[in-house]
Amino acid sequence: MIILSIDTSCDETSVAITDGRKVLANAIYSQVLLHKKWGGVVPSIAKRAHEEKIDLVIEECLHKFNRSQTSTHCTNLFITCFKNIDYIAVTQGPGLAIALEVGINKAKELAKKYKKKLIAVNHLEGHIYSAFAQNSAGNPQREIEFPFLAIIVSGGHTEIVLMKDHLNYEVLGETVDDAAGEALDKAAKLLGLGYPGGPVIETLAAQVKNQDLDHFPRPMLREKTLDMSYSGLKTAFYYHLKKLTEKEKNQQLKTLVSSFQEAAFDVLIKKTESAIKKTGVKRLVVGGGVIANKRLRNLFRALAKNHQGEVVFPPYKYLTGDNAAMIGIVACYKAQKNVFAENPDQLDRLPRMTLTSLSGVDKN
Amino acid sequence: MQKQIITVLKKGGLVIFPSDTVYGLLADATNEQAVKKLIQFKNRPWGKPISVFVDSFLMLEKLVDVNNSQLSLLKNLLPGPFTVILKSKGQVVSLLESEKKTLGIRLPSYPFITDLVKSFGKPITATSANLAGRPPHYSVTSLFNSLPKQKRDLIDLTVDVGDLPHNKTSTIVDLTEPEIKMLRKGDLVFDQKNSFISQSPEQTKKIAQYIFQKNFSSEKPLVFILQGELGTGKTVFAKGLGEQLGLEKIISPTFVIYYEYPIKSGKFFHFDLYQIADKEELENFKIEKMLVPGNILCFEWGEKSSTIIDLLKKKAKVVYVEMEYINEKERRIKYL
Repeated sequence: MIILSIDTSCDETSVAITDGRKVLANAIYSQVLLHKKWGGVVPSIAKRAHEEKIDLVIEECLHKFNRSQTSTHCTNLFITCFKNIDYIAVTQGPGLAIALEVGINKAKELAKKYKKKLIAVNHLEGHIYSAFAQNSAGNPQREIEFPFLAIIVSGGHTEIVLMKDHLNYEVLGETVDDAAGEALDKAAKLLGLGYPGGPVIETLAAQVKNQDLDHFPRPMLREKTLDMSYSGLKTAFYYHLKKLTEKEKNQQLKTLVSSFQEAAFDVLIKKTESAIKKTGVKRLVVGGGVIANKRLRNLFRALAKNHQGEVVFPPYKYLTGDNAAMIGIVACYKAQKNVFAENPDQLDRLPRMTLTSLSGVDKN
Repeated sequence: MQKQIITVLKKGGLVIFPSDTVYGLLADATNEQAVKKLIQFKNRPWGKPISVFVDSFLMLEKLVDVNNSQLSLLKNLLPGPFTVILKSKGQVVSLLESEKKTLGIRLPSYPFITDLVKSFGKPITATSANLAGRPPHYSVTSLFNSLPKQKRDLIDLTVDVGDLPHNKTSTIVDLTEPEIKMLRKGDLVFDQKNSFISQSPEQTKKIAQYIFQKNFSSEKPLVFILQGELGTGKTVFAKGLGEQLGLEKIISPTFVIYYEYPIKSGKFFHFDLYQIADKEELENFKIEKMLVPGNILCFEWGEKSSTIIDLLKKKAKVVYVEMEYINEKERRIKYL
């Protein structure tokens, strides 16, 4: 089943063509440099960039797809490709309202023009399924075994989700304020380390072997809920820095960010561990931009090992960030279950779309 | 239902009734027999004052002496979860007054009560429906379980609306002395005019909701400009607004600058300008389009909103909120 998918939920314009779990072609235009100057994603700039780039990105993706399909030169790329494409999928939310719109409008336009059914996908589903993506040769060949605990950890999201079957999501815990990636970015910003701050912190922390000298607080760790909070950690960090002189900050820079990173990850790992104990499910699937962090990967591996479980991450680096390939993979399972957008014309963005609003399973 | 309550009150009966804080015990504040029955029910020592509900400033000024400076402060606090103590004019049963002839007045922002007082046309006692020295009750079941039979028999009518949200009892503010004194601290702890002390995220949310109620109107969009350092509770404040608007899951919008949520009266826009480095950038957000009646906008890091402040002021009711770190546990929240 060949699906063309589009994701414009935040600051990447991304288009992919997938066949089941196989990613046949993938094209991404990243706006990160555009936003770097502002220290974060600026909605109006994001919207403009999506609008300017989306046609080019689609074309690039179709070219890649076409090259993989046939050796003969074709006269009309779009017509040739769309003959082989079964459905069109698009991210409906969550994300930046005015950015989501660009992708949705384009998907509607293509669906209408080439008479394809439209599949609406939740971006968070995509992050979960990104761990099951395969290259065009079908590697890695890992099976999808249920049940598992899906952990999404990115700049905008931090969630622990129980999945007993395809497209069946039970949100066990989520952040009540800042996302984990956002907390790292903010800590980096407080120290003038630039945006995005996560990778810088990872590097600096590794240089001091991820020591935790400062023992910043781990909010909500004592509470029974699996929800997480990063706002208190950020506050504690801020007031700790205020007590230091510039010289002290510079001297302690590496251990400061390392301690912060340890605190942030500790919350996530401990809450995941609570989720393992609560559900008895020991299979972990972790997706989202922050899982590009090697320290966090190691912590998850150690956690899985302690519980005689296993953990899987997205197999290729481009799959940790926002990408349309993961949207296409979800869409394939939706198509198998006949879940299509009922009124494609009326499909609207859902900036704060949640996994529960989609499956109807409520958090207890 | 209201008719029935009024009939009972007119006959000097006691009514258990939900309030904006806890379940209360209502009686006609101008009927001595009714008040005596109430004091008997509560086991309240004679001479301890009992406050009264009024429906308006008009009724308030009939019951107590108010000078101009007190009035300006009152207009600020009320309606809200406060009991204000002022010099009584002797219009209610004297058993309700203190030895110094002062009277506690409640004007809640809770239509259940104010509508009832309005229809009744007279002040109604505003004491919690527990026995003296015992904690207040948030459900009728727990109240009745705590009462011996002879006490239960004194109740003439009970209005049960189930569990009340666990709001604290009102903050009691004594305005009769030159220096304002707080005799009991409720959810909203008053510091000075337009300034509150919050000791927990829950309190910060309550303060947000109180400020919202004071300022919302359907005629103009309402804009909150939150200023304060990192970690003073700006997102908590926004969460409080969200809860007031029926939104449970407000999370930090830093990553995407703003989130929009549908609400009954329109939309709630939650901005975080933390990432905004260049003032001009704000002009690209089409904020003008968001400024329609019924919409609520909340800006964290509002000090960065200076380029659009004129626009905001022209089109909306703007509330400035300043949040200040006092110590690890306490924040001061001022509004203008």
